[in-house]
Amino acid sequence: MKKQNVLIIGAGVAGMEASQLLTEAGHKVYLVEKESLIGGQTIKFEEVYPNMECSTCMVSPKQQEILQNENIELLLLSEVKEVNGTAGEFKVKVKKKASYVSLANCIGCGACYEPCPVSLDNNFEEGLSKMKAIAVPCAGALPNVPAIDAENCLHLNGKKKECQACKEACMFDAIDFSEKDETLDLEVSAIIVATGFDMLDLKKLSQYGYNQKDNVYTALEFERLYAENGPTEGKLILRDGETPKTIGIIHCAGREEQGYCSAVCCMYSTKFSHFLKHKVPEAKIKEFHSDLCIPGKSHQKFYQEALKKEIEFIRCRNIQDISVEKKNGSLQVNYQNGNIEKNTFKANMIIVAPAMLPGKDTKNLAETLGLSLDEKGFFATKSNELSPIATDVEGIFVAGCAEGPKDIPDSIAQAEAAVGKVVNLSQGKINE
Amino acid sequence: MSKKIGVYICECGTNISDRIDIDSLIEEISSLEDVGVAKKYGLLCSPAGKKYLAEDIKKEELTHLVIGACSPREHEQTFMKVCLEAGLNPYLFQMVNIREQCAWMISDKEAATRLAIKYIRAGIKRVALHKSLEKIELESNPDVLVIGGGIAGIEASLSLAGPERKIYLVEKTDALGGMTNKFAQLLPHQGANLSIVKDKIEQVNNNEHIEVFTSTAVEDIHGFLGNFEISVTNQEKDSEKKEFKAGAVVVAIGFGLYDPKETPAFGYGDVENVINALEFETMISSGKIVLKNGKPPASVALIHCVGRKEKGYCSKTCCLYSIKFARYLKDKLPNVDVSEFYQDLCLPDKSDQNYFEEAKKKGIHFIQSDEIEIKDINDRIKVKYKSAEGKKEELSVDMAILAPAMVPSQDTPKMAEMLNLPLDETGFFKEAHEMLNPVATPIEGVFVVGCALGPKNIPDSIVQSQAAAGKILSTLIPGKKLEPEVKTAEIREEFCTGCQTCLSVCFYGVISFDEHKGISIVNEAICRGCGSCVGSCPSGAIKIKHFTYPQLYREVLEALR
Amino acid sequence: MDKDFKPNIVGFLCNWCSYAGADLAGSNKLEIKPFLSVVKVMCSSRVNSNLVLTSFLWGADGVLIAGCHPGDCHYEKGNYYARRRFALLKKIMESLNLEPQRLQLSWVSASEGKRYAEVVNKFAEDITKIGPSPFRKNQNL
Repeated sequence: MKKQNVLIIGAGVAGMEASQLLTEAGHKVYLVEKESLIGGQTIKFEEVYPNMECSTCMVSPKQQEILQNENIELLLLSEVKEVNGTAGEFKVKVKKKASYVSLANCIGCGACYEPCPVSLDNNFEEGLSKMKAIAVPCAGALPNVPAIDAENCLHLNGKKKECQACKEACMFDAIDFSEKDETLDLEVSAIIVATGFDMLDLKKLSQYGYNQKDNVYTALEFERLYAENGPTEGKLILRDGETPKTIGIIHCAGREEQGYCSAVCCMYSTKFSHFLKHKVPEAKIKEFHSDLCIPGKSHQKFYQEALKKEIEFIRCRNIQDISVEKKNGSLQVNYQNGNIEKNTFKANMIIVAPAMLPGKDTKNLAETLGLSLDEKGFFATKSNELSPIATDVEGIFVAGCAEGPKDIPDSIAQAEAAVGKVVNLSQGKINE
Repeated sequence: MSKKIGVYICECGTNISDRIDIDSLIEEISSLEDVGVAKKYGLLCSPAGKKYLAEDIKKEELTHLVIGACSPREHEQTFMKVCLEAGLNPYLFQMVNIREQCAWMISDKEAATRLAIKYIRAGIKRVALHKSLEKIELESNPDVLVIGGGIAGIEASLSLAGPERKIYLVEKTDALGGMTNKFAQLLPHQGANLSIVKDKIEQVNNNEHIEVFTSTAVEDIHGFLGNFEISVTNQEKDSEKKEFKAGAVVVAIGFGLYDPKETPAFGYGDVENVINALEFETMISSGKIVLKNGKPPASVALIHCVGRKEKGYCSKTCCLYSIKFARYLKDKLPNVDVSEFYQDLCLPDKSDQNYFEEAKKKGIHFIQSDEIEIKDINDRIKVKYKSAEGKKEELSVDMAILAPAMVPSQDTPKMAEMLNLPLDETGFFKEAHEMLNPVATPIEGVFVVGCALGPKNIPDSIVQSQAAAGKILSTLIPGKKLEPEVKTAEIREEFCTGCQTCLSVCFYGVISFDEHKGISIVNEAICRGCGSCVGSCPSGAIKIKHFTYPQLYREVLEALR
Repeated sequence: MDKDFKPNIVGFLCNWCSYAGADLAGSNKLEIKPFLSVVKVMCSSRVNSNLVLTSFLWGADGVLIAGCHPGDCHYEKGNYYARRRFALLKKIMESLNLEPQRLQLSWVSASEGKRYAEVVNKFAEDITKIGPSPFRKNQNL
């Protein structure tokens, strides 16, 4: 078999799985990732349901394999800008932003972080902590090499040209301010799109009182709040300095607006309860849900175990009617249960599970790739097939949450399926 | 041959040298037995460092190598490659972590230096006991056995078959198609459509690289990844036996349905016109939706979650096909009154919600309910239930359609035993890793896809079949030899007492028992090297290469010095 | 209690979780008492009774076995085997007149650098309190 080049867009669990497998098949992979680290959303989770497995332990061997694999060319801080040609001979332009730190020279000692005078919101940590203009966003990030935020670096943005604090602190000559953004021209025979998802911005749904000041947290914020390598090193300290005692967890935020169920929120919300109960045994926890969507053979047990721990699940009449307000300095959930009684629950912490959305760049990328989107804004797949992997453009496949909300194993299965299609295509075999 | 161990301490810029007195460390260890060279270097992982190391290995004719530097998780691979380039077997090398687990966690330089000396000494003593390990290569057969001719098995076969890969597709009934043969229609909103299934069956039958065995049972499977030996018998042709070889196995034996009679409250078998979902599919196929008395129903209740409580899981597909039935009924019999009795609507796919909203618009009633009881009262069906408000209510209907839970196929236990596959507590096959490796099993080269793994819809089953195909296509490549793990378990026959404890702890089914010799046998081709068997062996008969007892013992001794 | 007592502790860490957790503790420059020497194994299940008892008989003041959390094992079930063996070893230690507290089994994940530091420091503290192993005199290394 002839060795071919394959482009994979997105280095989350789906993209990593596809990359690794394709190199086993003897192909070369260009793995394009827009961030400066790999692992996608999964590395933000402390534990994953239903086995409460440590996510870092689970994913970091994969990340290491990707970094050490000679047949994977990892392009960080990169975006696909242009695609021409057809299956077997796509011509791709990738814009790779300068990181100003040499991946070859940097050993990840972190000596450059401290001297940097700039402090920024750490987006990886959902803004729950600050980071320097040169830093890795969290402990254990892979590759363990920082990138310089050019917009905010005083030297690079010209606000203080003479600042070279990081360069002076680096013993390995890893920092190079002269590095320029580059455009790479790649020739690939197939493309797998694994760009993942984003979360609905809770600020758009005013009923939840989300303002980044009170103790109302988005699901992702809570994931980081309880992560051992997160901003509080896993300590449950709320924005007001308190620990969570009475907690309301609200499902389905934005479900009605988006017009679909995000498939994973019931389970991860239940995971939050398990975790909270473990950390704060006396905590009073209520889950406000509409229909519980817990398909799959092992999921209901996870829910039943939560019931045993006296976590209260309240089926709400209309999930859209739930609101959060601040009354006399404390938070209150207003809801209607099955009896149509108006009820309230005072809580010192609220976690809201927002709908999963197509990744922010989906629309642009679809235009670049010549792909169409479905009515929900996710990548559309070929309509006359029974599986959602192949797109209308031959040689381009979709895997993971770029195709729609799903959990980790389903994303991995799609990635493996896409690999199968690429391998078959490379051998001139196209079924269906 | 005498040993010459080279010890190289990386300063890691100043990351290590600032916190460990490298000079006194080198002084301390350079006089140890067999140490021929002990040096420090600024940054060994740099291109210059690697070049220096490779040249030194050759120049000094080193037989063993110890590197004191960062964590092996960072650069063990890097230096193993250097060893290879320099002609040194990479397993004659030991990487000692004096950065993360020493320099960086102990601020007292003297204490850190003392610990680093311990670690390096342990590394030297250990490496002296290392053996060269060579990657072995195994021939492998690229052909694949697919068990089950349902939609999952069909898809796996089509995705895998090719000029260099023959597929043996074994189906126990006399026709391909599996459960879809019993369906009148699939879920159109998910793009599923029976004509696609028909096309695929046609493609299988026309594919010269797929050999289809219908009315055939798999009798025996032996072997391991790349080398399975299979025998099957035809149930019709006088039990005609056939044997063949394959490199991988895909199990796609589907599911069964919960028998609603097991829960008498649903009235199935007792109450007239209470039917199950498959029986209603048959009605749709016949085009005649009628009651026992031959008249069309004026009202129909669709009962979700039949057996869910008993089985302890949600079957994922029932909500949607019940909605499909309701929509069909409304289209076919516009005046029919249709009520769906559901617990929780499970609509996880992105297009499901629309399908449901459309159903609501057609005037289908959705009743969130629990504690369903179906009774025959004056020849009408009475559905008693607890409403969302917690009130006891009831509704009279002409027909009730039950949606039974999906359960493991009755062949599952037998198949699991034959292939040495574990089942989970729900009785379905268990994945190699529920999160990261969803279609593989602990037995390398054996995959399970579709509803044999758990309830799922057709698109998800197909994705899993394609996923298994993806894994097989990229790992079992025609003409390419397999390179199994080298740090495997090994049984020392003279010590093995034949107690078989190791067989019970090996998750990967690597160990078998040789009845003739009365000892356990490790199949090194598929061993993952975890060492569970070593830990459990009461007679110390098993060793794991590269983590042998003497090697770890030396480390312990140095730790206690 | 002997103020100069510096315990000798052997720490068997599994490659996938605990060893990575220890690395993370180091990367975060968490301070750890220098009394524990790490011996890496692929899985906590590899640590057979022989290795643990040898450690004690050669004078180890404490032995720590650290693996992945239950359910997290890279090899699916290895840490459960380690747990069972641990229970057995505790009994054996009593018969050797060794305080069972000298043996500890802990779960440390790859993200739990802080937990690793806490586990090791706490264990070192506990062992310091218990004092030197009666088998120290066997040491003739």
